[in-house]
Amino acid sequence: MSVSYLFLEIAVVLSGLGLLLVDLWTPAEHKRGLGYMAAGAAALILAFSFSKIVDPGVSVAAFGGSFTQDALALFFKRFFLLAAVLILLMEVEFSDRITAGITEYYALTLFALAGMMVAASVNDFALLFVSLELMAVTFYVLTSFQRTRLGSLEAGVKYLILGAVSSAILVYGIALIYGSAGTMNFTKIADKAELLKESKIAVFGFLLVLVGLGFKVAVVPMQIWAPDVYQGAPTPTSAFLAVGSKAAGFALLLRVLHGAAPELLLSWERLLMILSGLTILYGSLCAIPQRNLKRLLGYSSIANAGYLFLGISAGTVAGVSAILYYLAGYLFAVVAAFFVICIVSKANDSEDISEFAGLSKHSPFLASVLALSMVSLAGVPPMAGFFGKFLLLKSAAEQAVSYPGYYVLLGVAIIGVVISLYYYFEVVRAIYWSPGSQDRRVIILSKPAKLALWTCAAGMVLVGVFPNLVARATDAAAAALKF
Amino acid sequence: MMLQHIAWIVLFAPLAAAALIALATRRDDRLSAQISIAASAVAFAGSLILFLAFDRFELAWSWLNVGPLKVDLGFKFDALSGLMLLVVTGVGTAIHVYSFGYMQGDRSFARFFASMSLFMFSMLGIVVSNNLAQMFVFWELVGVSSYLLIGFWYERPAAADASKKAFIANRVGDFGFLLGILMVWGLLGTVRFDELEARLRTDPGAMGAAATVAGLLLFCGAVGKSAQFPLHVWLPDAMEGPTPVSALIHAATMVAAGVFMLCRVFFLLNVPDSSALPVIAWIGGGTGLLAALIAVQQDDIKRILAYSTLSQLGMMVMAVGLGGPGPAMYHLVTHAFFKALLFLGAGSVIHAMHHEQDIWKMGRLSQRLPVTCKTFLIGALALCGVPPFSGFYSKDAILAQGFEHNTWLFLLAVFTAWLTTFYMSRLVIVAFFGGPKSSGAEEAHESPGIMTSPLIFLAVPSVVAGIAGIPGRLSTQFGAAAEGAHGPAGFAALFEPFSHSPLPAFLGLLVFMLGVAAACSFYWGAKEDPLPSKLGWFARAMKDRFYFDEIYSALVRLTQETIATAAAWFDRWILSGLMVRGAHGTTELVGRALRLAQTGNLQTYALLLAFGVAWMLFYALVAR
Repeated sequence: MSVSYLFLEIAVVLSGLGLLLVDLWTPAEHKRGLGYMAAGAAALILAFSFSKIVDPGVSVAAFGGSFTQDALALFFKRFFLLAAVLILLMEVEFSDRITAGITEYYALTLFALAGMMVAASVNDFALLFVSLELMAVTFYVLTSFQRTRLGSLEAGVKYLILGAVSSAILVYGIALIYGSAGTMNFTKIADKAELLKESKIAVFGFLLVLVGLGFKVAVVPMQIWAPDVYQGAPTPTSAFLAVGSKAAGFALLLRVLHGAAPELLLSWERLLMILSGLTILYGSLCAIPQRNLKRLLGYSSIANAGYLFLGISAGTVAGVSAILYYLAGYLFAVVAAFFVICIVSKANDSEDISEFAGLSKHSPFLASVLALSMVSLAGVPPMAGFFGKFLLLKSAAEQAVSYPGYYVLLGVAIIGVVISLYYYFEVVRAIYWSPGSQDRRVIILSKPAKLALWTCAAGMVLVGVFPNLVARATDAAAAALKF
Repeated sequence: MMLQHIAWIVLFAPLAAAALIALATRRDDRLSAQISIAASAVAFAGSLILFLAFDRFELAWSWLNVGPLKVDLGFKFDALSGLMLLVVTGVGTAIHVYSFGYMQGDRSFARFFASMSLFMFSMLGIVVSNNLAQMFVFWELVGVSSYLLIGFWYERPAAADASKKAFIANRVGDFGFLLGILMVWGLLGTVRFDELEARLRTDPGAMGAAATVAGLLLFCGAVGKSAQFPLHVWLPDAMEGPTPVSALIHAATMVAAGVFMLCRVFFLLNVPDSSALPVIAWIGGGTGLLAALIAVQQDDIKRILAYSTLSQLGMMVMAVGLGGPGPAMYHLVTHAFFKALLFLGAGSVIHAMHHEQDIWKMGRLSQRLPVTCKTFLIGALALCGVPPFSGFYSKDAILAQGFEHNTWLFLLAVFTAWLTTFYMSRLVIVAFFGGPKSSGAEEAHESPGIMTSPLIFLAVPSVVAGIAGIPGRLSTQFGAAAEGAHGPAGFAALFEPFSHSPLPAFLGLLVFMLGVAAACSFYWGAKEDPLPSKLGWFARAMKDRFYFDEIYSALVRLTQETIATAAAWFDRWILSGLMVRGAHGTTELVGRALRLAQTGNLQTYALLLAFGVAWMLFYALVAR
């Protein structure tokens, strides 16, 4: 029965709606706690995703072929659910900075989550657009949710306008593809690939789709919005953008490139490589002079999109598997970083790196989690980030045999890694070796926050220390695609 | 067999003790010492059980498995390691007990015992290794733990320097050892002793012409650990450590590791293509003579013993080089007993003399320290090779080996034996007899029972080890041919040397008597050393250790200064200036420039986005 494959998404949407209902009977002072309910619901759904009902064990096409439930889709859905649980816990910590409508904030997070989860299963351009817009529109709201803060509103407007431009380009592309192929379904389009490859209209359309999706993952030249939005948005939203939205973009990219246009992937190899290299360099170089930690993470997320593009341009099972592995490690590191920012910046609403000076003195736990996260993002063994980067570089290096241009790209990637060491360790240095101001209060962590931070720390370490466990899952997920 | 698993207790008890002391009981001196002593005693008891119950067995636990390299953490028990286990744990336990008295009142009492236990663990690890890689790991651990022990009184500059010197000299040798291991692995494809041996038995020429190089590289490890020429310089300086450490490390265990290793890999050295053995024999013999000459003119009681140790180790290495690992191991075992006894005796003297080590300030200690004196005499007689003391039999085995294989080395060894008797007699006469030469010597008191009882304990094997049938046990390892002389145990062994190979035996006795006579004529009743006036510059050179330290330090300074100056220039101008600052400056500049694109202006952003998309389309559709 088709609908059973949609149970997870339905459950998420119902939780969001239920949350809004419960809000009506909840006194204002307890509304903050509803976030725990939302997180609990997401956690339950995450547990449920392992049941036989939603996991058919094989690739299944549902709803007339527009929806795929396979290992890759489930990998991404679990990824998004886990991210949402952690982010919802972060939102509870953040709730006192949201003046009104905290429950809506939680609920919108769940709706965005539903959009991402659908995106993971997309096999049809119509569904692609719907899922993308479900995400995008909720994120416009989430970004500008601190209505009293100018920065948040500015970020929201920028994201809205640039996002609308990119959506328009995307729709235009979809229209062109539909015009030349006569169908929206990926599988059917792929059947006509030989024909479409010759048609400049169709290639033009696919390029525009690439632009639209590239905007989501913030790859050069569609990266321009990311630093401003990451900096201005409420911290949990930035985190969700960095993890969820980016991963959803990659899920869609993989679906489109491998599902609908596998032929094009070969002829675009060079374009994708150039985008990857430029993105890595842009993100890494611009991050150097940054003083605002959230903005720095914005640039870092651009650079990371570049690394992930290595796997896209390689276009092999190893490449896709490396993307998934990298995302798994990236999830914990980024959520951990934003979580610590969220907690530390509570007192004086500033995310400047100097705020974190001497953090190790008064909050050693937060300091070590943030340091771990930076070290993992920098790709230092044995953290998760190291193995992810290693696998991505390896997948690209394997292609270098057939196309030497990859050596240049590898060189660029390694230069990017070296530069990133510099700015990530700048943060670590501030935490441990810069003298901080003396009048710091000791930060008291709530139990759920502690749990989330421990989860992130454990995740970063375990994904790196036991690469086989994760690689087995990512290999299986990657194998679900066509190559 | 469950009983075999005692092996792991033997190996790990000292490590557990070291960890326990370091982590938990550090503040409680008494308890820490008891834990350490107990661990050592447990290891000794375990070794004894294994020795009585088994002839040979092997336990292995796979530790590292990378491609073709397979390394076990193994426990190889056979005649060789069984004997060595007994020596290490037996002598070690005696020294542990002794230390309890000797180190009384030291500030870092617990640290001392933790280091001792760590050392014991490392040493046992070498002994039981079933492969070269494991041996190397423990080899280095011994280096580290000896560094800790020699530099135990690190606040004294001399001790700190000595520990550094020992470690560095050892590292030099270890580097060669590591290369040798890699070479053996490369040539034969395994590092396990039994596989190596099987491989060479079926195909003795498997290593080809490289056998000599590989053998000599492996020997480098022994040169470092057993302090052979030219790396012998560290051992005398290492006497800066507490005396029990000198007894443990520089008599019975660490320095013996080199000889032990040579015996362990003897089958690698003794292949038809290899000419490593003669080199080993000459280096050993040369070291033996050199060190004996130096010992003649030393005044510090511990330094005399240190050079004596060097000399005896040289004899053992020579025996290996002459194709006789059996005699080498035999002498190693007996030497471990009587040299540890001598060191502990020296420690007792030093203790009684309030840390005075100059023998010319002692005199007539035989009356003040009766137990120490008697046991020290036993040790000295054993060292000089007087029947029925153990040293006679083992030394005779080496002499017989030389007599059968190389006349020149045989004569060299006999001369060394004469020197040995001479300097030991000098030491005994000056320190224990004659008139008291200082007020300290008149007021010396016998050490407490906790220190004298280990002396007595060690005196027993120093006497009887020669007739305990050690060669018989060893011949199961090396075969009667390589083992040389001396089969039987008990009463029959007492006169065996004289019937087996009479010339070396009688020569040995003769040089002993000549040595004692010469020493008596020079030193009986002497107030100062008459030799310098008789021998002139040569005595001076002996006293100054033939200037090895001076030559080395000049050499090191010269090369080091040159390299350091060049490296500093390279670092300052090329690395730091051009590469680091240059790359950093460029990157930073580019970063700042790129940042200008990020104006924060929405219209600019939209424009940039549009340009970017246009470029992408152009590139993908037109330019390609």
